[in-house]
Amino acid sequence: MTSGPAGPILEVTDVRHAFGPREVLKGVSLDVRPGEIYALLGPNGAGKTTLVRAICGRIRPSGGQVRVAGRDPYTDGEARAALGLAPQALALYAQLTVIENLETFARLAGLKDWAVVDAVRRAMAVTQIEERSKSLVRTLSGGYQRRVNIAAAILADPKLLVLDEPTVGVDMPAREAIAEALARLKESGVGILLVTHDLDQAQRLADRVGFLRAGEKVLEGAPAALIAEAFGERMEVEVDVAEPAPQATLEAEGLTRGDDPGAWVCLAADGYALAGSLAEHLKAKGVEVREVRVRRPSLNQLFASIVEPRRAA
Amino acid sequence: MFRVMALDLWRDRPALVMTFVLPSVVFLIFSAVFSGTTGLDVKLKVAVADAVHTSGSARLVGALLADKNLRAELTEPQTAEAVRAAVRSGRDDAGLVVTSDPAAPGTPILILTDRSRAVAAPLTEARTRDALERVTPDVLLVRTIRDVTPALGQLTPDQQDNVAIAADEAARGGGTANKPPPLFAQEDVARDQKGGAAVAYYAGAVTILFSLFASTHGALTLLDERRAGIADRILAGRYGMAPVVTGKFLFLVAQVVAQAAVIFATAEIVYSVAVLGHFSLWLVTTVATAIASAGLTLALVALCRTREQAQMLSTFVILILAALGGSMVPRFLMPPWLQNLGWWTPHAWVIDAYQGLLWRDAGAGELYKAWLVLTLTGVVGFFIAQAAARRVRT
Repeated sequence: MTSGPAGPILEVTDVRHAFGPREVLKGVSLDVRPGEIYALLGPNGAGKTTLVRAICGRIRPSGGQVRVAGRDPYTDGEARAALGLAPQALALYAQLTVIENLETFARLAGLKDWAVVDAVRRAMAVTQIEERSKSLVRTLSGGYQRRVNIAAAILADPKLLVLDEPTVGVDMPAREAIAEALARLKESGVGILLVTHDLDQAQRLADRVGFLRAGEKVLEGAPAALIAEAFGERMEVEVDVAEPAPQATLEAEGLTRGDDPGAWVCLAADGYALAGSLAEHLKAKGVEVREVRVRRPSLNQLFASIVEPRRAA
Repeated sequence: MFRVMALDLWRDRPALVMTFVLPSVVFLIFSAVFSGTTGLDVKLKVAVADAVHTSGSARLVGALLADKNLRAELTEPQTAEAVRAAVRSGRDDAGLVVTSDPAAPGTPILILTDRSRAVAAPLTEARTRDALERVTPDVLLVRTIRDVTPALGQLTPDQQDNVAIAADEAARGGGTANKPPPLFAQEDVARDQKGGAAVAYYAGAVTILFSLFASTHGALTLLDERRAGIADRILAGRYGMAPVVTGKFLFLVAQVVAQAAVIFATAEIVYSVAVLGHFSLWLVTTVATAIASAGLTLALVALCRTREQAQMLSTFVILILAALGGSMVPRFLMPPWLQNLGWWTPHAWVIDAYQGLLWRDAGAGELYKAWLVLTLTGVVGFFIAQAAARRVRT
């Protein structure tokens, strides 16, 4: 063991990996400390899944090294014993009840009779699924299934929890429940690597975020600090106009197309003042303005600026 | 939709191969296997002993040994008991003993068979009669003259009357007092076994066939776990997939033992096959069968990428093994090269072991080879499945 109590539970150092001629990871480094939530963000194809596989010991990276609790997860079962994975797919036996699933995974993690009962009880308490413990998994709502998915990953009391898209396809109350569970795990000292597209949740929960793009880590830091560094005091102004929108007119006002149909955005230091004048200008030019919003930039804007550098300008 | 279906098939190369190539392969194998059942191409293994060593017997035995339509071999020593032992052990399909000079009065040829291969007796008799006609026409002539002399006499009017009377009696099925002794006598080497020989044969044949089907169904959960992401979760754990594959293997072994118990209980109750009387050896044979079945199906499934591939491949393999191994047609009716090929299937060993045990009262000394082959097959399959389950799918 090279990591002390205060050292990182996960250390990824200059990891490279290629599938044939295709280089998927190009020297990625990151670490996760105990009691920290680290959100790994990036567009599809950025290399997140490959990095998670390397962290879980499923593949040996072509270069660099991965250490979980100071050990190599590819060769050392003790490293994997310190790790819990909640895959993106619902990795559960649908025809078994919640408690039967958890008992099965606890035994597969090597727990003995007395420890199985204790581990199942704790995992259900953390994820708050006790009331549905005897329900068949296939009869549960998507939100409950996601919580069982997380419960199955924490049975062996992992020091590092890897969550791959834990909130995909679930409603707001379920997202809140999952967020509460993650907060409890963080408090208990578990290091959490959260791989997600849910940027709002990442911003709210993560102590640090890392952006992967085309196999490289392009940005890392605390969400608030990154946003402040990227946008300063500027505010985001979003104008919602009727379609078809006169593109040339809107671009002449410094607006770029937003994520939603009819949404055009820009960043401005004097956001509120700009919002009023912008609405007047556009109306004067015959553009039908339906709504103007002013807000502080979020990880969404930062993410978009990384994926589409044009918007950052 | 026609175009979608066609493109889908074209782009799924394993499915394409299985749809258009495998049926031809299956056809070739099945036609080779089933063509033997007409009796035209059957090459029986016949244990032969010449107990009298006369000119006629030597020529007959020589002709049988040279007959390309038989696989005749002399026993050592050339006694009826040695031939009887060879047939009883299942090494030979039938036996033939020349007990007296074929030209002398009486019944010179004894054919020994086992009820489990009853068809071997008439086939052996037919080949022997053919040999007699070819190499000992003088013997047949002597016998024929001797046989007809009582009826023909000197062909005086009275004798002509006798011929007419004898012919009438023969036509009516009578005249047994004057009927000449037959060339052939038959003996069933089976002792006091209960239950039909064919029942013992097909109990084994059905057991291995359905144990493979049931085990495949269970083994397919490996692919369900891969698809559901359960394998990802387990592979990220301390022990990986090893306990999963081991657990499935043990379950499939137990399932096959239970399934076989039901099949053989039915055989005991309905056909009086003496399963309980051989329980300990039956149990060892059944566990060995279950190990082979579980290991083989787990390996097959673990090597496939999708459930669809696994289902098609396992159905193909199970059908071919069943045909070659004797689950569909008794192996002794197949051409020799297919009989030899059959030893590369678990079916041949399973059927041979159960039939040896339940029909011929074989002991551990005769069954151990089948136990070893089946257990080894299962263990190799188990380790292949373990290795394949660890593979990364990207």
